[in-house]
Amino acid sequence: MDQNSYHKYFSTILSIAALLAGWELLALAVNNPALPGPVQSLDTFINEVPRGLWQHFLISTYRVFTSIVLSLVLALPIGMLLGREQHLDRFAAPVIYLVYPIPKIVFLPVLATLLSYGDISKITLITLVVFFQILVPIRDASRNINAALINSVKSLGAVRFDVYKHVVWPAVLPEMLTSLRIASGTAIAILFFSETISSQEGLGYYLLDAWSRFAYDEMFAGIIAMGLLGLVIYFILDYLEHLICPWKFV
Amino acid sequence: MNSLNSDNNLVIVRGLSVSYFQQKKEVPALSEVSFAIPRGSTCALIGPSGCGKSTLLYVLSGLMRPSGGSVMVGGEPPTAPRRSTALILQDYGLLPWKKVAENVGLGLEIRGIKREQRLDRVKRVLQEVGLWELRNRYPSQLSGGQRQRVGIARALAQEPDLLLMDEPFSSLDALTREMLQEQLLQIWKDKRITIIMVTHSIDEAVYLGQQIIVLAGNPGRVLEIVNNPGVGNEGYRDTPEFHQLSTMLRSKLSH
Ligand SMILES: Nc1ncnc2c1ncn2[C@@H]1O[C@H](COP(=O)(O)OP(=O)(O)OP(=O)(O)O)[C@@H](O)[C@H]1O
Ligand SMILES: [Mg+2]
Repeated sequence: MDQNSYHKYFSTILSIAALLAGWELLALAVNNPALPGPVQSLDTFINEVPRGLWQHFLISTYRVFTSIVLSLVLALPIGMLLGREQHLDRFAAPVIYLVYPIPKIVFLPVLATLLSYGDISKITLITLVVFFQILVPIRDASRNINAALINSVKSLGAVRFDVYKHVVWPAVLPEMLTSLRIASGTAIAILFFSETISSQEGLGYYLLDAWSRFAYDEMFAGIIAMGLLGLVIYFILDYLEHLICPWKFV
Repeated sequence: MNSLNSDNNLVIVRGLSVSYFQQKKEVPALSEVSFAIPRGSTCALIGPSGCGKSTLLYVLSGLMRPSGGSVMVGGEPPTAPRRSTALILQDYGLLPWKKVAENVGLGLEIRGIKREQRLDRVKRVLQEVGLWELRNRYPSQLSGGQRQRVGIARALAQEPDLLLMDEPFSSLDALTREMLQEQLLQIWKDKRITIIMVTHSIDEAVYLGQQIIVLAGNPGRVLEIVNNPGVGNEGYRDTPEFHQLSTMLRSKLSH
């Protein structure tokens, strides 16, 4: 392990320790069963994992990941195209700006009715949110590519496909990852909502169920699981960025 | 102007007009521009900002169409980027996400030249400009002068007969600039590539341009074409001709 990644792991551990310490202090100060301390919560968490929490975690992870991958597969090509081909964007832009600001959660009842209460309605809802959140930044990044960069590649004989391959695609990657980081937070929030409203499984359901039984330590075990889900996504995106944008780390 | 018809000319421009279209409004950038550039010679384009120098290079490289007049490069109108024309733009020619060697080989890759052959040629041109050691760096890890040399290497990798350069050395410090001017001159002497370069520097125009085309106005027109046969002579910068020509150009450009 090189010096740099050693430092990174060290600071990750340090920041988690600081978070736990803050939590402990707050729990001590509040001194209420509704806010159990980290030790008790972690203890419950570890006990709960084999007793169903793991299944809920997997289901939620599956829903979030599928949604993110689906959004990417759709938003990347569409965003790259809309940014470069003005005639397409002229048609798409009004639709985007009309649909983008609507809080997509309002579609849950419709989706649940149309697509059943299972995974598909939740995945569709999350995809709907994440898709727009990454489409717009990808489109803008694609549109704002320096014209001189494109011209110089064209002067090398590049046809449209070469321009997309060598210029547009790599140029939008950093923006794509940044917008994914932001969108993954929203995705987890939407996941939570949709699982509390219409589900018998998933972390949202698990949390709400614990809450309704006033099982606060289980509720916090669920919160820890949600935090872990966010952390997993963060690490994956971080890893991806090093993998696909190596020029940003020199 | 019989030179306009000679077979010896690689570039022939007659009565060229070029316009941009902005919100359906025509913005003329060049008007009635004519000149000819003999194969293997050098030419400097100089003129005030906005007179259409970059536009002219875009037309010559085939990236823009003329709206009037005719342009011939190597006997044909440049309707699409021509294989043996290389264009070097001021700052943005290199792709930040490709390493030096990948940038230099990009034109060859786009043309579908096989990997082995590509690497051979990339190695040769990088050694020529003295950057083989830096082949695995990204452009952001290079100095301005090194970046410009990578741009030159990429152009040379195409084995061009016409090299178009848009203010190639303008963002460099004086020492680096002179070193690169020297290197370019050497490349020209070795390969006898036809070079057309846009410059803002009178010194650079006189040092490198066998023809100096002075553009002015908006839309840009040819104000004057100056012949400058001393280019490439040993110690040309220190000769009286060099200084006379510089003074003459300076007074033309300040009007
Ligand atoms: N994309 C564009 N759309 C509309 N007008 C343009 C465009 N590009 C350039 N022009 C106009 O065309 C004219 C010539 O521009 P050009 O870039 O060729 O000038 P230049 O001589 O290279 O200037 P500089 O020395 O500042 O680089 C200018 O008046 C400019 O405003
Ligand atoms: Mg210019």
